[in-house]
Amino acid sequence: MFARSTISTAVPMLALLCGMAQAAPVKIGVLESLSGPQASTGQAYRAAVRYAIDKLNASGGWNGQPVQLMEYDNQGGPTGASDKLKAAAAEGVQIIVQGGSSAIGGQITEDVRKHNLRNPGKEILYINVGAEAAELTGEKCNFHHFRFAANAQVRAKALVQAMKQAKTLGGKVYSINQNYSWGQDMEKAIVDNAAAGGYTVVEKTLHDTNKIQDFAPYVAKISASGADTVMTGNWSNDLLLLMKASKAAGLKVRFGTVFLDQAGNIATAGEQAAGHFVAQTFNAEAAGTEGDRFMADYKARSGHLPVATEPQTVFGLDMVADALKRTKPENGDLNVNALARNLETTKLKTPMGEASMRAADHQVLLPIVVSMVSKDAKYKADDTDLGFKPVKVFTAEEAAAPAQASCKMQRPS
Amino acid sequence: MDTFVFSLLNGTVYGLLLFMVSAGLTLVFGMMGVLNFAHASFYMLGAYFAYSLQGLLGFGPAVVTATLLAGAVGVVVERFFLRRVHHHGHAHELLLTFGLSFIIAEAIKLFFGNFPVDYRIPPALDFAAFTLGRQQYPAYRVLMAAVALAMFGTLYLLLTRTRIGIIVRAAIHRPRMAQALGHNVQLVFMGVFGVGAALAGLAGAVAGAFYTTNPNMALEVGVMVFVVVVVGGLGSLGGAMLASLLIGIVTSLAVSVDSSLADLLALVGAQAWAQDIGGLMTLKVSSLAATLPFLLMLLILLVRPSGLMGEKT
Repeated sequence: MFARSTISTAVPMLALLCGMAQAAPVKIGVLESLSGPQASTGQAYRAAVRYAIDKLNASGGWNGQPVQLMEYDNQGGPTGASDKLKAAAAEGVQIIVQGGSSAIGGQITEDVRKHNLRNPGKEILYINVGAEAAELTGEKCNFHHFRFAANAQVRAKALVQAMKQAKTLGGKVYSINQNYSWGQDMEKAIVDNAAAGGYTVVEKTLHDTNKIQDFAPYVAKISASGADTVMTGNWSNDLLLLMKASKAAGLKVRFGTVFLDQAGNIATAGEQAAGHFVAQTFNAEAAGTEGDRFMADYKARSGHLPVATEPQTVFGLDMVADALKRTKPENGDLNVNALARNLETTKLKTPMGEASMRAADHQVLLPIVVSMVSKDAKYKADDTDLGFKPVKVFTAEEAAAPAQASCKMQRPS
Repeated sequence: MDTFVFSLLNGTVYGLLLFMVSAGLTLVFGMMGVLNFAHASFYMLGAYFAYSLQGLLGFGPAVVTATLLAGAVGVVVERFFLRRVHHHGHAHELLLTFGLSFIIAEAIKLFFGNFPVDYRIPPALDFAAFTLGRQQYPAYRVLMAAVALAMFGTLYLLLTRTRIGIIVRAAIHRPRMAQALGHNVQLVFMGVFGVGAALAGLAGAVAGAFYTTNPNMALEVGVMVFVVVVVGGLGSLGGAMLASLLIGIVTSLAVSVDSSLADLLALVGAQAWAQDIGGLMTLKVSSLAATLPFLLMLLILLVRPSGLMGEKT
């Protein structure tokens, strides 16, 4: 198990050999779950970050030097993340990238806030590419945290509107979610959208996260409620087992999901997944030729097509790269606060459309696409004959949910 | 009423599945005094073996072959690993199986990738056994229950009604005496370990298709299996059966209970007060369903540390 590995290119080595006159390169640290049960999620984020950093370096890096990518394994939990964050800070990492879990994200944003309070002039920036809990841009929002992923409100709103327009929503919705920050946000979002979607939430269930093998009792409950649609923010096994159990019970419901596009899901669910919906941050088919080009380029460099959260991670880091280019070096060093200010005004044309950073709460505004699992999809998932057929694309403005009032952003003077 | 019957059925079948995995663990513990941390890994191996062989042999033969293969791996582990460290004491055996569970998990990731694989129920078995109200009951669940019951029956008869059973039980209780009487205790150990692994493999091969087959499945089921074995009493087959059913049914029924502590306190007129406090007081029982087995374990350990049907502590 490697605690840390550096991607070293020939260029920084040469720079070292040529003398110490030049300032140290900017270090970006990926702080993900690279081992253990959640490793598959963490490794996907890492692949996307590598791709984006390679692209940044190919276009000249920053201040005439390639950016250095460091990798840290948070071992699947907030404790490991906290430890490795200290290690990263000690090694001079100025930008931390993480996305794998809201629980870990909550830890990192707090640690980064405290570190920056105690070490003025040596600030760290937290680039959140996937932790979607509302509190990160709400009561916990801070100047050095930027989220480049969607959140529960955005996803649920798009999902409800698209399913309503496709006339598949029905009047009774069952909300089932995992009992932690993300699942609770999702439940709230499903309830909040009831009026707009013209449905009633017949029942709400919160269950233990990734502990349940047998979802049959939950399916019995869904069946008894008479719901037409099940909306859930569940991911990974909790989503698959729920869908498998409801198929086995012959339940006639439609699923509105957020994470059905994770690698391996369609392979496992097979035909059962057909006809269900997912709110995504990227769908190559919806993005047209730009999407095709991105897919081909990503595959050529990473060895696999980007799925689930990989595209949003790439676009997020593209925005960071854009802000970096606009930040001038001060005595050869990167001023993180200046970079953060530039990030606040970053706009980027992604294959899906324009994305921008909202300065008020550091939540990215990005287009959302709602897709249905179908055989007609252009790109098939997991080597099956099913894929995600776009149903409706929402521009960043249409998809956006307002900034939370609980966010009181403290900007450094 | 329908819901209640379904919950009961669901719980029973899930309990029987838990029994399939825990039977081997409790047998091995009873015999060798080793808590085998790698036991759930055999469950995972069974699922992956069946998945790989399914295309080649068809579902039924693949399940049988997977069971035998998992058993064979178990035999190898006992013969070439556990036996070597046996004289160093239980701590070493424990550490060995602990390490082994990691190695098996990483090996699976190496060969099959980090993601779930598409191991599914064959279409021929994918139908409803019966319909109750709005819900169908899948035939495959009935099949899983039948396999578990057949397994329990066979094991029980084997241990209590045959000569092999007598020798095994003798080797469990008084290994030295059994050895002195001319029985090959080493062989018995190897055999029981192999059978234990095979049972776990069978459970994996059968359940992997119904649930999901992924590199974390050993972890997912492993914890619950330990709970079963502790609640039932280490080394007791009957106890494992009782505890499995208890845990399965309790979890299943709890899902449909939407009350909280606050509702209970309403009986003494303190509901408003409890709701004010919030936190634990307003937590619904249904959202705790998967945690209840652990509460049960805690209770058993406090009240009856040897488990429901265990002999030794």
